[in-house]
Order: sequence, then C-alpha cells, then structure tokens
Amino acid sequence: MDEQFDDIEKTLWEQMGKLRVPEPSKDVKIRFHAMLDTFKAEEEAKKEGIFQILLERFKTLFAYKPAYNWAYAMILIVISSGAGYFIGKPNSEVAANSNEVKRLSSEVQDMKQMMMLSMLENPVATERLKAVSYTQELNNVDDQVIDALLTTLNFDQNENVRLVTLEALIQLAENPKVREGLVQSLLTQESPLMQVALADAMVKLQEKRSVKQFKELLRKENLNDAVKGKIEKTILVLS
Amino acid sequence: MLKVKAGDLDKMGLLFERYHKPLFGFLYHTTGQVAQSEDLVQTVFYRMLKYRHTFSGEGEFRTWMFHLARNVVNDAAKKNNRVVYEADITPRSERTISTPAADVQLETKQESEVLHQALAKLSPDHREVLILSRFQELSYQEIAEILKTSEGNIKVKVHRAMKELKGIFLKETH
Repeated sequence: MDEQFDDIEKTLWEQMGKLRVPEPSKDVKIRFHAMLDTFKAEEEAKKEGIFQILLERFKTLFAYKPAYNWAYAMILIVISSGAGYFIGKPNSEVAANSNEVKRLSSEVQDMKQMMMLSMLENPVATERLKAVSYTQELNNVDDQVIDALLTTLNFDQNENVRLVTLEALIQLAENPKVREGLVQSLLTQESPLMQVALADAMVKLQEKRSVKQFKELLRKENLNDAVKGKIEKTILVLS
Repeated sequence: MLKVKAGDLDKMGLLFERYHKPLFGFLYHTTGQVAQSEDLVQTVFYRMLKYRHTFSGEGEFRTWMFHLARNVVNDAAKKNNRVVYEADITPRSERTISTPAADVQLETKQESEVLHQALAKLSPDHREVLILSRFQELSYQEIAEILKTSEGNIKVKVHRAMKELKGIFLKETH
C-alpha cells in the first residue's frame, strides 16, 4: 500500500482485500476440457486435411492414365527441352564477358596484322624478319597477309628474309593461294639456296603441280649444278 | 505456455488449473456478472489456444493472459452494445461465502456491499487498475505492460482511483 494514501483510503484498500469473489462453478472446468478436446480435434483435422489433400493431389499427378500417353510424352519433351535450354544457356554475364573478350581479341589480331604489314616494308632486314615471324601469332591470315608474304618471298632483297618467309608460307600451305604462290615462285627465284629450299618444300607438300615449273627451271642455262641435281631428284619424287 | 505454443496442447490443462480462478476473479470484478465471467473464462482460454503463437515468452504468462482478457471483455461489451460493468441480479450476500461469527458476518456483509457498490460506480479505467493491483496483486510494472503504458502512469492512476473510490464510498455511507 502506498504511503501517500490517507487513512480512509488505506482502510478501503484493506477492505478490498477481504472482498470475497464467488467460486466459479464446476461447469467451467468441464466446459474448458470439452473446448480443449474440440480444439485439439480441429487442429488434428486441419493437419490431416492438409496432408490428405497434398497426398491425393500427389497420387493423382503420378497416377498412370493410358489415355494421356501423348500428354506424358509432350510433358517430358517440354521438361527436357527446358532443362537442356537452361543448362546449355550460358549465364548472361558470362556470355557478355565472353563477347567482350572475343571483341578485344579480334582488335588485337587486327593490330598485329597492321603492324606486320607495315614492318614488312621496313628497310631494315631484321625488322622484316620480325614481321614474318609475327605471322605465326596470327590466328586468321587473310589474303592481304598472304599477298604481302608472297611478295616478300619473291622480291625481298635479303635472302634470309626470303627463306624465313618460305618457312612461314609452308605453315600456311593449307590455303590453295599459298600453294599456288609457292609453285609460281619457283621460276621467280634466282638464288640457288632458295631454289633448293623451294624444292624441299614442294616435296614436303607433295605438290605435283610444281613438276612443270621444275622442268622449266631445268631449261635455264645458268642453273647451279647442285640445284639441277636436286631438282631432278625432286621431279622423280613427285612424279 | 511455451510448450503449448510448441504444440503440446495438453499443457493448457495445467495452465487452466493454475490460472482460471484469478482470471475468473478479474472478469467478475470487471463485469460484475458470474455467468458472463464463466463464459468469458472459456473465451480467454480459447483465444490463448488460438493465438498461442503470439506469446513471445519474454513477459510473464499472466501478463499476457490479462492482456487477452481485457480484449475479450471489450469485445464482449461491443458485441452486446452495453457497458462493461453490470451488477448481477443475484444479491451479493447470497453469492459470498458466509463467515462463522454472526455479528461480524453482518457488519462485513454491509461494508462489503457498500464497497462493491462503490467499485461498481468507479470509472472503468480506475476500476481496472484497482482490480489488477489490489485483487490480482500485480505490480505497477506488470499492469503497465498489460495496459501498454508507463509504470508512473499506473501509479498516478491507482492514486486517482483510490481518491475516486473514497469519494463514492463516503457518499454511499452518509
């Protein structure tokens, strides 16, 4: 009891404590337990109800119905197509990155090609040698590069540059234009070293079309004897 | 109650045994009706079951119980479109348990009757704080939790309630 209450209030407070409250009837307890049992039954019914509904739907879903064979087949096709599409589909971000890498790679290739072509015109032989060696780093060699290399093969003043160019072109021999250029180059080359190297290349590439050029070469008056012997052997191998 | 919340509904039986009398007392003092209080006891326990998930376990169980009981009383009053407190038709002297000594019994009955009448005439807010603090012997802190207010506010309310009760009581006795 609070100290601030006066005497009358304190008395009233005391009296309130003595006030009697009637006892609730015994029915209260009986009704409570009936209510509790009902509530429990309802809760169980709810649980069972939900479980039963789910079970029934599950059963219905997987129950085999012969009449729906086509439907089953279609569902399977759709599911497998969907799965294949999503599994096979690259992540959009990865795809974007991949495209970016491809674009950059392509730009680098273009730059290398431009650099190679400009270096081939460099007056310093070592620079031209470097330029030829760059062709090995190019993934896709286009006609412009092939023309430049064939020109170098036929007309470069430096024999070493021509030899390295020949090696580079042999690597590109799958291209018909390269093969044709190599065959045609036989009559252009004056250097015995280059003539022998080309003869070896023709054997290596098994280029039978070159026999005609070799025979024509044999008719040249100032042909080196060693080269002549080499060409005759080459003609025999290729014939 | 936490076990009930977890799904062990049978434990509500134990809570009923322990708390149905204090709850009935609260409802009886609030409504003044025996039969209605018995009905409301059922309703409160039903709501405890139904809304068991709202019991956080942080406060005391009885605080939560009285909070629900208040709502039940207010809902019942709204539903019946009448004031919360309505004196029972049955004479109170017939409802209380008699004490052995006849003279003391008479005096006590008379005083009790006046006090009951005074309580019935109290404003609902004041009657409520007195029921919770005096009859249910809850602390100001617990009452503040039930009524969602501050402890200081409850203290002030109890003071004012006692002043109002005194005024009504003195009027009734003179």
